[in-house]
Amino acid sequence: MTAQPSASDPTASGPTASGPTASGPTAPGRAASGPAASLPVAEPPPPAVVCRGVGKVFGKTYAVRDVDLEIPAGAVHALVGENGAGKSTLLGMVSGRLAADTGSVEVFDTVLGDGGPRKARGLGLVTVYQELTMVPALSAEANVFLGGQLTRRGLLSRREMRRRYEEMCADFEVSIPADALARTLSVSQQQILEIMRGVQADGRVLLLDEPSAALAEHERDILYRILGRLRSRGTTIVFVSHNLEEVLRLSDTISVLRNGRLVETAPRERWNRQALIRSMVGREIGVTARGATHEPGGPALEASGVSAGIVDDIGIRVHQGEIVGLWGLVGSGRTTFMRALAGLDRTSSGELRLGGESVPWPRSAREAIASGVVMVPEDRKNGLVPGMDAVGNVSVGVTRFTRLGRVDRGRERADAERFTRYFGFDADRLDAPVRHLSGGNQQKVLLAKWAARTPRVFLIDEPTRGIDVGAKSEVLASLVSLARDGAAVIVTSSELEEVLAIANRLLVFAKGRVVGEIPADSPRFRVRDIVRLGFHEKETER
Amino acid sequence: MSSPAVPTTSPAPPTGGPGAPAGPEHPAEGAATGRGARVRALALRYSMLWVLVALVLAATVLYPGFLQLANVQDILTQNAAVGIIAVAMTFVIISGGFDLSVGATYALGATVFAGVTKSTGSVVLAGGCALLAGVVVGAANGTIIARWKVNPFVTTLGMSSVISGLAYVYSNSAPFIVDGISFQYLALTAVAGVPLPIWILLVAFLAGAVLLSQTGYGRNIYAIGGNEEAGRLSGLRVPWLVGSAYVMTGVTAALAGMMDASRLGVGQADVGATVALDTIAIVVVGGTSLRGGEGAVWRSGVGLLILATLTNVFYSLNISQHWQLIAKGTIVVAAVALDSLLRRRRT
Repeated sequence: MTAQPSASDPTASGPTASGPTASGPTAPGRAASGPAASLPVAEPPPPAVVCRGVGKVFGKTYAVRDVDLEIPAGAVHALVGENGAGKSTLLGMVSGRLAADTGSVEVFDTVLGDGGPRKARGLGLVTVYQELTMVPALSAEANVFLGGQLTRRGLLSRREMRRRYEEMCADFEVSIPADALARTLSVSQQQILEIMRGVQADGRVLLLDEPSAALAEHERDILYRILGRLRSRGTTIVFVSHNLEEVLRLSDTISVLRNGRLVETAPRERWNRQALIRSMVGREIGVTARGATHEPGGPALEASGVSAGIVDDIGIRVHQGEIVGLWGLVGSGRTTFMRALAGLDRTSSGELRLGGESVPWPRSAREAIASGVVMVPEDRKNGLVPGMDAVGNVSVGVTRFTRLGRVDRGRERADAERFTRYFGFDADRLDAPVRHLSGGNQQKVLLAKWAARTPRVFLIDEPTRGIDVGAKSEVLASLVSLARDGAAVIVTSSELEEVLAIANRLLVFAKGRVVGEIPADSPRFRVRDIVRLGFHEKETER
Repeated sequence: MSSPAVPTTSPAPPTGGPGAPAGPEHPAEGAATGRGARVRALALRYSMLWVLVALVLAATVLYPGFLQLANVQDILTQNAAVGIIAVAMTFVIISGGFDLSVGATYALGATVFAGVTKSTGSVVLAGGCALLAGVVVGAANGTIIARWKVNPFVTTLGMSSVISGLAYVYSNSAPFIVDGISFQYLALTAVAGVPLPIWILLVAFLAGAVLLSQTGYGRNIYAIGGNEEAGRLSGLRVPWLVGSAYVMTGVTAALAGMMDASRLGVGQADVGATVALDTIAIVVVGGTSLRGGEGAVWRSGVGLLILATLTNVFYSLNISQHWQLIAKGTIVVAAVALDSLLRRRRT
């Protein structure tokens, strides 16, 4: 079922002339020399997607420059690259979401021009976006059929849509109530609906931007199986992913982008993990810095009897300089628990001690922040003001550089620079609106913003979601630095390995309760034991 | 396909019942669970309907003649004009917009209908001209808002002034007084014993309800109001959809103007001052959210009946019109505040 890619497609745009020996940068291949040159062979089917000299400018910088790429029909093609390498921008131009500033995109020999998503869709091109494009007030079912409702004689055929929806749910092995409003669903459920919408549209080409980033492990396997089936039906699949295992597992051909340029395109067989990373960054990176091995200090945060929604009577104690990881399946209550500690859940209750002193249970983010507890949310879009630059974002709500109510710009900037540098953010980008930054850079700004409130306790939700290998290790390393500098850090991630790499201790959540607490020096501090723990409780409860 | 313990779907009950697996991560946004919560959600969802029922009961006590056929017919006839505009306004508001120009368009419809009848003698031609004027106004609004991305509030407020001015210029600031029974046909004919305006009102509500809740077009209106970018990325023709809603308010406003001109035998440019507030009031009192993406045509029906009942009772109790103004404004603001309050509780 894993669709180990069959032999590469020889009709494909023979990659770079020099042949990618995975030795490093090669000149971007002129794919356009392809089919016309090899006339004697039987006419190959037209390529699904052709990019000719495609470029996109944001502000003064090229996000994508001179990309020539040909994706044969029926292939599974992956686009990989570091943060800001231009993958999502390139995908956006192919999908019609963005208009190319230079060059052209052709879908089955038709130029896309500036026809937008509607024209792309008309050409059989369907896109699953990374930013969730759910309509919050519509039901799960209505969202899946958005833009492609089934109708009979002009009226919606509700029964037919319900039947198809339930078939798809069975296919995806999920049960999301058809009538549940999208805004009541979790991020991963919304992501699954997003993918269902793409699959339901039944296009000839399916584009996916980070389809698995928000999914749990078993949900990913389901996604892979469904993509495998689409592939065997002849659907062309183009996807962007940071998950290299996934890229190597699914793809027929892989293109690497770096700094907006296409570095190389080659069949799957010529790649392995190391070669991909080398090509992406031009240097080798250790997976993560094994971090917090120092001695924690006194207690920073102690909470007991915390209840909120499904979270039922949980206690936690975190020391200064300590990183505590939370892990559990989606729906196990780890985010809910964090939100409660951060004062974001008005229905929550519990008892809280900070630095050994009893404080009232936080009823608002304002109260929590004032007492030195901040939460860095999972959703970067909600955590930042997209049109504002990094300086403004870091200093929102921070008053220490105002004099008589007036902002001292110099001090504000110096402050923003200091905090963003801590997280490895490039000071040259301080003045760019954050919506133009890559996910990794946005994450760094987000962390800097909360660090600028100089809290004692950081609650960090999914700090590495959807960002690339290089930025991941930088972000994880900066969490370790936070702890070294005396903060207490509570972090959750669906990438368990990452939590294990930096945490001193791990709490395993299941069904709103803590089912295990494992210190880093325990032999059970490893993926297999922890996942089993997380699943076990779920099964016995049913 | 062997896979971990994720249950496959069963015919799921609406909004995550107690058995819903792996529920939402954030309980504050979570679907209501349990019977009590579901009853509460139901009560909330239909809250304006309960208000209407209570109001009608109160009205029958205060004013025994309230439910008599003649009175009911009166209520509906008087409110037919704003009612049909409210149907179209529901579309505009759900699509995320707002139309303040309906009052001026209403006056334009009345003026053109009476003026052209007077100069040509043809009621049909005059009706066609008036409706066409409504289409043109709607298309202009739609183009400016959807294509040029101008804020709907500013656009329709400005357009309102333009349209009003045109109506005055056309009529030379004098009312067109039209004699002759054919001009009054629209308002005074009865079909099966029921006046034509009531039929038009019923048909507008019925057609609007079907269009909004039963067709792909209606779904798309909800979608662009709830998340315009999601709609665009799904391949919807967003400008066209937005524009179509304004064409609807333009046409219905012109038709409403014709109906009232026909009833009074006069078409003039200085009518319709309260039409915009009245129609928006009907929509929001019914519970359609001004934020777009949520609401229904039946809600506007409830809103219409609530406001119409109030007005009728006020008249029957001889309460002055000034107090009615105060009451109406208060109700509108209260309805929007309630919407805001409920929303805050949810998140």
